[in-house]
Amino acid sequence: MVENYAVLPCNGLDKCAGVISGKIAKKLYENGKNEIICPVFYRVADAKYNKIAGEHPLLVIDGCPTRCASKLAAEKNLKISKKILITEEAKSHNIELSSGLRILENEKSLIEIILNGLNKAEDKTPQVSDETTFSCNFDYETFQNGKFIFRVPKNPEIYYNENDCWAWVSGNRARIGVTDFVQQNLSDILYFTPPEIGAEIDQFGEVGDIESSKALVALISPVSGKVVAINESLIQKPEMINENPYELGWVAEIELADFESDKELLIGFDKYFELMKKKVENTNG
Amino acid sequence: MSETTFMGVERDKIDWKPTIDYSKCDYCMECTNFCPHKVFEVRENEEIKLIVRNPDNCVVFCRACSKICGPDALSFPDKNATTQRIKEIRKEENNG
Repeated sequence: MVENYAVLPCNGLDKCAGVISGKIAKKLYENGKNEIICPVFYRVADAKYNKIAGEHPLLVIDGCPTRCASKLAAEKNLKISKKILITEEAKSHNIELSSGLRILENEKSLIEIILNGLNKAEDKTPQVSDETTFSCNFDYETFQNGKFIFRVPKNPEIYYNENDCWAWVSGNRARIGVTDFVQQNLSDILYFTPPEIGAEIDQFGEVGDIESSKALVALISPVSGKVVAINESLIQKPEMINENPYELGWVAEIELADFESDKELLIGFDKYFELMKKKVENTNG
Repeated sequence: MSETTFMGVERDKIDWKPTIDYSKCDYCMECTNFCPHKVFEVRENEEIKLIVRNPDNCVVFCRACSKICGPDALSFPDKNATTQRIKEIRKEENNG
């Protein structure tokens, strides 16, 4: 049962996906267990909605990838607990949305699917990572650019791709995450969208998104395989990626499909450290 | 000769760049405001106001601009085909 959320929809009136976001927010409000935040009124009524948002976990519903509701939440410094993107949900369920604004059969089924999905997610038991497999002392090499310090672990079992993600390989599993380059560039990370447990990922496939007020980046998986665990703590505390993206800020664990082949397109510490230095110089001067 | 490489392959040999569907693009310019690599170029006084100016600046496998595109007007090549091609080029160059 979805309850106790403050629901912030984009409520976009001129797009079908926006209308759906509003409909879902109203449905959640009508069950009497959730609060609703009107994005238009919020622009002129800070006090009312800041109080509601402060007292409840925030569920943001964006219609389209312009993500107006997410941007409003970032502007108001709100911490997002859960997010839905209507166009992405429609794509993943193979539902074509109408070009008009009316809620017809397709739109109705999508609303139902999303509401059911929300209910199921509330009941799900978190997956547990095998902490003992991934416990070791990190040995960092660091360099500084202005006030920013960048660290890269030297441990030989950690591999990198050129998209600034790492994979710590142990047996047939790998723990993956982003490097300091990503977290420093994003600045304060506000939201983490985890991959689905059980999802099959190709090498260089996307395994979740990280979002700050500056940008959104997808994690590009260094390895192929099945997602077997995610770092549940990041859902409530995505800022742990800023604190340390290699240890507490790890993102997911993958059961490896073909690491010998994946390895061909990965690099070790020496090469990645040089590459990252170059990128930092090019980005920050 | 490309100035940059990706996974040891010259960047201009890798086909990875956004394609703009002009029937969907509404010129909101979110993509160009967002992309730090200057892949896009705004052309205020032209009929087509946005083009992919520097395709080789695009970070291989990054699709972030398409994720923030409201009208869903940006698409990318198939990732697996690109990975395969990179492997082939590396092989050819190692044997060559």
